[in-house]
Amino acid sequence: MKYTIRIAGKDIPVEADFTEKGVVKAVIDGRTVTARYRVVAPGGIHFELDDGRGVNAYLAPDHEGKLVNVGGITYLVQDAGTLARAAVRRRGVKELPKEVTPPMPSVVVRIMVAEGDQVEQGQAVAVVSAMKMETTLQAPFSGRVARVNVAEGEKVMPGQVLVDIVREKETAA
Amino acid sequence: MFDTILIANRGEIAVRIIATCREMGIRTVAVYSEADRDALHVLEADRAVLLGPSEPSRSYLDMDRIIAAARESGAQAIHPGYGFLAENADFAERCSREGLVFIGPPAQVIRDLGNKTVARRTMAASGVPVIPGMMEPGENPDALKQEAEKIGFPVLIKAAAGGGGKGMRVVRSPEDFVDACASASREAAAAFGNGDVYLEKFIEKPRHVEFQILADSFGNVVHLLERECSIQRRHQKIIEETPSPALTPELRRRMGAAAVAAARASGYVNAGTVEFLLDSQGGFYFLEVNTRLQVEHPVTEMVTGIDLVRRQIEIASVMPLDLSQEEIIGRGHAIECRIYAEDPLSDFLPSPGKISFIREPKGPGIRNDIGIYPGYTVPVEYDPILSKLIVHAQSRPACISRMIRALKDYVILGVLTPIPFLVDILSSEAFSAGKTSTDFIDTHFSDWMPALKDTDLAALAFVVDEAVNHGSQAAAVTRQEYSPWKALGHFRP
Repeated sequence: MKYTIRIAGKDIPVEADFTEKGVVKAVIDGRTVTARYRVVAPGGIHFELDDGRGVNAYLAPDHEGKLVNVGGITYLVQDAGTLARAAVRRRGVKELPKEVTPPMPSVVVRIMVAEGDQVEQGQAVAVVSAMKMETTLQAPFSGRVARVNVAEGEKVMPGQVLVDIVREKETAA
Repeated sequence: MFDTILIANRGEIAVRIIATCREMGIRTVAVYSEADRDALHVLEADRAVLLGPSEPSRSYLDMDRIIAAARESGAQAIHPGYGFLAENADFAERCSREGLVFIGPPAQVIRDLGNKTVARRTMAASGVPVIPGMMEPGENPDALKQEAEKIGFPVLIKAAAGGGGKGMRVVRSPEDFVDACASASREAAAAFGNGDVYLEKFIEKPRHVEFQILADSFGNVVHLLERECSIQRRHQKIIEETPSPALTPELRRRMGAAAVAAARASGYVNAGTVEFLLDSQGGFYFLEVNTRLQVEHPVTEMVTGIDLVRRQIEIASVMPLDLSQEEIIGRGHAIECRIYAEDPLSDFLPSPGKISFIREPKGPGIRNDIGIYPGYTVPVEYDPILSKLIVHAQSRPACISRMIRALKDYVILGVLTPIPFLVDILSSEAFSAGKTSTDFIDTHFSDWMPALKDTDLAALAFVVDEAVNHGSQAAAVTRQEYSPWKALGHFRP
């Protein structure tokens, strides 16, 4: 079976052969890996590696792929099919946000603008709090506040737009 | 002795207090907010009382509701844990007025020690070394500048009513002083409603070493050795250990005696912690007294074998301490790592979410004080601590190896944790050598990245899971193949 797997920001080709029962022979990015494996429980795989080590891997589904914990580190592992979508989402978070949205699940502490207000790029428009840590959300560009979508005290998720801002140019037009 | 205790806290510390109560045959009452209906402490207690909405001010900080909950449930005493109302003198006073026992020091002691300049004066007067600096707070920048010249630069500006790094500034040259002073005062006024600041000599590269004390109502005071808590980020401790690699038996004896003197000087009763800064020449200076059970108390319990919560409860029920200083002996070495829901790669931003899987480390000398379980959603409203992993071994090197092993065996899926970061700190030469000062993380780990050694294994696990389990649900969706089995999702028999 052939896969393209995205892990730690890299796409790697993986070809796996399961013809011998309980053994996986894989070529991972050109490296050959052979291991005996046993699926112990849903989400638990025991490997006997050809270098003599025994290793447990723990898996759980995640909305973007699978979480795989091995050697004390949890990796997000994705199939090629998720790449395009995930990449778009990732970029949306990492680059300058185009929307007023929290970086993590949070509670709205304060909304500092009202509908109709003019805001400058970088102006603080809302404060959210997650686990006692406050984050100030800024206007991504100058414009007019078209709508405030949430109230103070409300729980919000990343991607949820708290305040709609219409760009200055669009307002003028 | 009490037959029912209310625990005015949540999370791992509430669960830990309940454990001792059960060992003592005491019934426990948990309190909770609407966000915590399914929290572990609610499930562990004999009874649980809803306080109110998730905001702390309307639940865990609402004195009226907590007192009423104690009344309703027939509790005679309240254990405040740490944080929330643990160091609130008004709450301690309120409890005693209502005929309830506050499991902690008397209100006046909390009040005196909570005021840093009062505490400094008290300590200096009883011969406890304090950092050279002012005994009275002030507001006038010019007068303060004269004081700064007397103390000698660098100086540290601190808020008289403060804590947690708010209103704190290091000033290295006289030219910067007036501006720094004004901004510290503004910050203090905004945070604590009191703009008074005071000055201290700034100690370069100090270690944070604290002594656990126990004092009963009959004047018996002992110390339970030290904890070193120098590994901090943003003024928050993340790794603590005992004994401190920096203490000689002689220094330990002198610091311990100072801690006991500090407890006596303040009229202390119950468990407390005397914090010191230790400079590189072995000079130590009183920092403050924490009038509560500390987060890191388990390392002391591991090496002394003394259950601190049991002692707190006994002292609160006016039993005498049956421990002499000579009987308190530390055996071996203990280290604690705090496991928060946070992303070590994104500046340790909180990472709330649903826990999908937990595997706790096991084996000799391992203790995990945990407040979560699989299926539990870590709420966004509160402190992000999930658990504290504590290990005990015969020597410091053995303890470090054991902690690294335990951390690597600790699997939490669903939220991010700093486990890989902690493994790398414990594996570092600087930590092994005991070169732990409060700037340790900035010095050695400011641009940390995990070494992703096992990406091939993770990829292998992924494809085995795909092949054997026909893929998890998430993967099934993304492969965009239709299969009635996959479409059934969770309901597949």
